[in-house]
Amino acid sequence: MTDRVAIVGVAQTRFSPKRADVNVGELAYEAIEQVLQQTGLEIGRDIDNSISCSHDIWDGQTISDIGITDVIGGHLRNEEKMAMDGSTAAYYATIGILSGEFDCTLLLAHTKMSQTDRNIVNNTAFDPIYTRMLGFDFTTAAALQARRYMSVYGITEEQVARVVLKNLSNARLNPVMHNGRDLSLDEILAAPLIADPLRALDLAPDSDGAVALIMASEERAKQITDHPAWILGIGSCYDAHYLGDRDLADCMALEKAAAMAYRMAGINDPRRQVDLVELGDEFSYQELLWLEGLGLCKRGEAGCITAEGLTARSGELPVNPSGGLLGGVPANVAGLNRVAEAANQVMGRAGEVQIKDVEIAVAQGHSGFCGQHQCVIVLGREPRSLSASAGRSR
Amino acid sequence: MEIEFVNIPMVVDVPYRFAAGSYMARFLIELRDNGKFFGIQCPSCGRVQMPPRIVCAACHIKNGEWIELSPTGTLMGFSIVHLPLTDPTTGLPHKTPYTYGIVRLDGAYSTIEHFIDVEPDIQKVRVGMRVRAILRPREERTGDLNDILHFAPIGEA
Repeated sequence: MTDRVAIVGVAQTRFSPKRADVNVGELAYEAIEQVLQQTGLEIGRDIDNSISCSHDIWDGQTISDIGITDVIGGHLRNEEKMAMDGSTAAYYATIGILSGEFDCTLLLAHTKMSQTDRNIVNNTAFDPIYTRMLGFDFTTAAALQARRYMSVYGITEEQVARVVLKNLSNARLNPVMHNGRDLSLDEILAAPLIADPLRALDLAPDSDGAVALIMASEERAKQITDHPAWILGIGSCYDAHYLGDRDLADCMALEKAAAMAYRMAGINDPRRQVDLVELGDEFSYQELLWLEGLGLCKRGEAGCITAEGLTARSGELPVNPSGGLLGGVPANVAGLNRVAEAANQVMGRAGEVQIKDVEIAVAQGHSGFCGQHQCVIVLGREPRSLSASAGRSR
Repeated sequence: MEIEFVNIPMVVDVPYRFAAGSYMARFLIELRDNGKFFGIQCPSCGRVQMPPRIVCAACHIKNGEWIELSPTGTLMGFSIVHLPLTDPTTGLPHKTPYTYGIVRLDGAYSTIEHFIDVEPDIQKVRVGMRVRAILRPREERTGDLNDILHFAPIGEA
C-alpha cells in the first residue's frame, strides 16, 4: 500500500470582484479543464475520487455541490463535499489516498461572493439563540479578536498595516489576483474604519473564482509528473465555537494542527526548516496571529519580524508571496488556494511569484469566525513516508 | 458584439423557529423574569460557562451545577463598528457607529459578546474597563438576548 501522497496538478481561475459571465459550474470547469490539460488526465479514465468545497448559504442552495457534480465527474460516481475551508479538502484527499481506496483525486473549491452579501451570510454562522440576533458577522468578530490580540501582545496598527503593504504589493505580481497595488503605510492607516481597529484595506475583498488540484498516490504521481509537491504532513483542529469560550488573543487550535503536521513532516524547528508560508490572511492582523500559532516566531513577535522585512518576498521566510487572501481570493476557496500557491512554489511552477529554492512550504487555512477550525498542510520537494511517522503522540 | 449577462435576482427567505433547548431556555427565562445571569459549571474542570449548554466545551462531560453570576464584569475586547450590518431582528441596517464588546462577567470563565454603551471614541473605551449589564424594563423583556440592552461602564474607582 502506498504511504506517500503528492499534488501533481494545480489550476486557478482568474479571481475577480465579479464574474457575471459564468455560473458556478462554468467557473469550476475553467479550473478543472486547465488542471486536466496540465496533467494529461481524463476524468472518466483517471480520476477515482472527487472532493469539492463550497458552502450552501454562500451559494444559496442546499447541497451546494449540485451545480458542479457534472463538471467534477460526480455523475454516477463518488463525490464528497466539504462545507469548510478548502485546505481541508487536501487533508481529506490525503487520508483517502493513504487508505488505499483511491489513487487519483480531483479537488475543487468555488465561491462567487458577488452573488450575495457576506455580512448576512456570515451572520448565520453564529448560534441562532445566542449572539446571532445581535448582528455579529466575521468582520465584527475579527475586529474583537484584533483588538484583543493587539492589546495583549502590544501589536501596533503600523505593524498590522505592514502586512497589507506587503501582501497587496506581492499580489501585483500575481496574474490571478485582482487587489494588487502599491500603497504607502500612511494610505493604509488612513483608509476608512470599518470595525475599529480594522480599516477597509484590512479585509480580504469580495471575489469570485475557483481552484482545482489533483492529488495522487506515489505510483500514479511519478507517472504524471517529474516535479510533484509531496505531502509531508497534515493537521486539523477545532477550537470552541462560542467566542466567549476562547481568549481571542490565543490560537490554540492552530498550535495543535501545526504540531500534528510538523510531527508527521519531521519538523522540529519550523523557523529554520520552513522556506515559505501561504496562510489565511482573511483579515490583516491574522497573518501575525497565525505566524505565531504556526510556531514561526514567539508569541507577540510577529509584528516585529514583519516590520523587519523577514516575511517579505526577499526575506528569510517569505509569507504570502502570492498576495495572500488580501490580494483577492474568494471565501472557501481561500485555503485550497493557499495549498495551490504553496504547491506551485515547491513544484517551481509559481511563475511571476516564484521564490528560489523552496524545499519545504507550509499552507494554512481556517474556517469559521476568528479561526475556529484550523488546517495545516506541509509540502516538500522530496517525498516522505507518511504512515511511519503518522502515529498519535503519546 | 456586446455580450449580455443574465442574472436572476432572488431573496431566499427561509423562516425558522429555533428551539432554545432546555439549558438556554432556563438562562433566557431567568434573565427575562428575574433579571439574573446564570452560567453552568463543569464538575471536572470547574469552569463556569455561558451560554449554558449540556456538556463542558473542554472536558466533553455533562455539565453540573447552575451558578448565578454578577451582572458586572470586565471588558476584554471591543470594536467601534462603522459597518451598517443588517440587524437580523428587523432586517434593517444598524445605525453606525456602535460598539461591540467582549465582557467577562464576574465569576464566569466564558465571556459574552454584546453592545457596549460608550461614546464611540477610542479614547473613551479601553480593555479592562468595568461594565454592568443594563436590561430592558421587566415588562418589555421577551426572553431573548435583546433583553440585555447593552453593557455600560461603571464609574471608575
